[in-house]
Amino acid sequence: MHKIILAGEGSLLIYFGDKIDASLPKNIANFANELKNQFSDLIIDLTPSYTSLLVGYDLNKTSHIKFSSQLQTALDNFEFVESHQDSELIYIPVYYGFEVGFDLERLLAEKYMTIDGFIELHSSTEYLVYAIGFSPVFAFLGQVDAKIQAPRLATPRIKIPAGSVGIADSQTAVYPTDSSGGWNIIGRTLLDLSLNNPDNLDKFKTGDRVKFYPITRDEYLKNGGQL
Amino acid sequence: MSFKVTKPGFLTTVQDYGRLTHGAHGMGQSGVMDEQAYNWANHLLENDFNDSVLEITFGGVELLALDDVLVCVCGADLDFKVNKQSTPIWHSVQIRKGDTLSWSLPKHGIRAYLAVKGGFNTEVLFGSRSVNLRENIGKKLSELEVLNCNSSSVVLDHFVAPKYIPNYDQDIVLRLLPSYQYHEFSNSQRALFFGQHYTITNANDRTGCRLDGAPIALKKDEMISEAMSYGSVEIATDGLPIILLKDAPTIGGYPKIGTVFSLDLAKLAQKQPNTKVKFELMDIHQAQKERLKFNQFFQISPN
Repeated sequence: MHKIILAGEGSLLIYFGDKIDASLPKNIANFANELKNQFSDLIIDLTPSYTSLLVGYDLNKTSHIKFSSQLQTALDNFEFVESHQDSELIYIPVYYGFEVGFDLERLLAEKYMTIDGFIELHSSTEYLVYAIGFSPVFAFLGQVDAKIQAPRLATPRIKIPAGSVGIADSQTAVYPTDSSGGWNIIGRTLLDLSLNNPDNLDKFKTGDRVKFYPITRDEYLKNGGQL
Repeated sequence: MSFKVTKPGFLTTVQDYGRLTHGAHGMGQSGVMDEQAYNWANHLLENDFNDSVLEITFGGVELLALDDVLVCVCGADLDFKVNKQSTPIWHSVQIRKGDTLSWSLPKHGIRAYLAVKGGFNTEVLFGSRSVNLRENIGKKLSELEVLNCNSSSVVLDHFVAPKYIPNYDQDIVLRLLPSYQYHEFSNSQRALFFGQHYTITNANDRTGCRLDGAPIALKKDEMISEAMSYGSVEIATDGLPIILLKDAPTIGGYPKIGTVFSLDLAKLAQKQPNTKVKFELMDIHQAQKERLKFNQFFQISPN
């Protein structure tokens, strides 16, 4: 199912499906690259998300009618593939502990689970980057094992420290900077994902794969971790 | 060295046309809230359309000129003065070294733009000088900060003809393109949306403008987060609209009933809380025609 709809006076939204599907992010990323090459003089910006791609174009150079039909042709000619083996795999070390994982103790109690069992479930899954948003470098990763899923907090926290790892329903993510937020915090990474390092802008791309691995409290502290 | 900030004001930031090419990085477009006033200010100084300006919200600002600079103030009437003398806005003004520029409080509108010949030379961050406080990109103006720009002393006397100067006290109608989930709202819910006067609430900032009124509903099982364009109108869980503005997040999971035309958002940028707004349907071809005319007049070429 492909559908192009109006998004704004200089933008169109393409839907590639109506359900979250692991084969979509990489296909959408590839299609975005192809558009960039094919219409480099017309396209201003491309914003992918789970099942869609927002295409911002220069209305000085083309019109809604003309560009939507060109997009339709590009879509018709694009070859979608079922699986991708070649996407990048990013490893993120996490200290899963009660001092930094503010919601961990509660989640374990709610789910009648040991901390080791919880860590095993969170860190054994290979996640996919479905979208980047909320704030720069904030990557929405899915799918979290059903046994450790948890809904967003009813009242978001005012301040979550940079590096905090959270869960919201079937998604997990790392907060790149100090911010407010309502995800269940289960641990923290020492990896600097802030834009103090401008290279982090490209740290995650939709379609990339991400894996977390546990580090001990000692390793976390030795490398400068704060409690 | 060009200006020393003696009073930073309530919320004063450097802005330009925006950070337009980082949606895939989760970075919002940022940039000036009132594109009309901003473009006039740069236009009168014969600047590039993307030259950076100061966006002064509500006033409380005082600057000391450290050089001769040609400036132009457009947008809200915040009681602009040079050396305590009322000074025209929508008009180029030659500032001399040692002059004090001040904006005290809003008389008409809320956002004033100070353009300087050649723009401010602040750091370019990810392709733009626009400050985005929500994303920790840049900072708002602080006391004793020095704002750099090139000194300029040009014989130039440009102004906006009175008939083009907007009246910010007038009621506004926001023209809405039928985008995103527009067609999924029922006829009766759309009629309710277009039929009422909404009130601008206090939750009205660079990120978004939350409106109060009679709630509308959309029956939809699941909404998957998708990229939101500038001006798109989310209907939150409580059934009330939030108009997404320059510093809004790039993606979100509420249904959107449409997208407000950019030049109407420029008018919205001058509105105080508690004023009324109404929506009206607009056709994409009309929107593109009007925006194209605007872009051509101000020589805007975003790509």
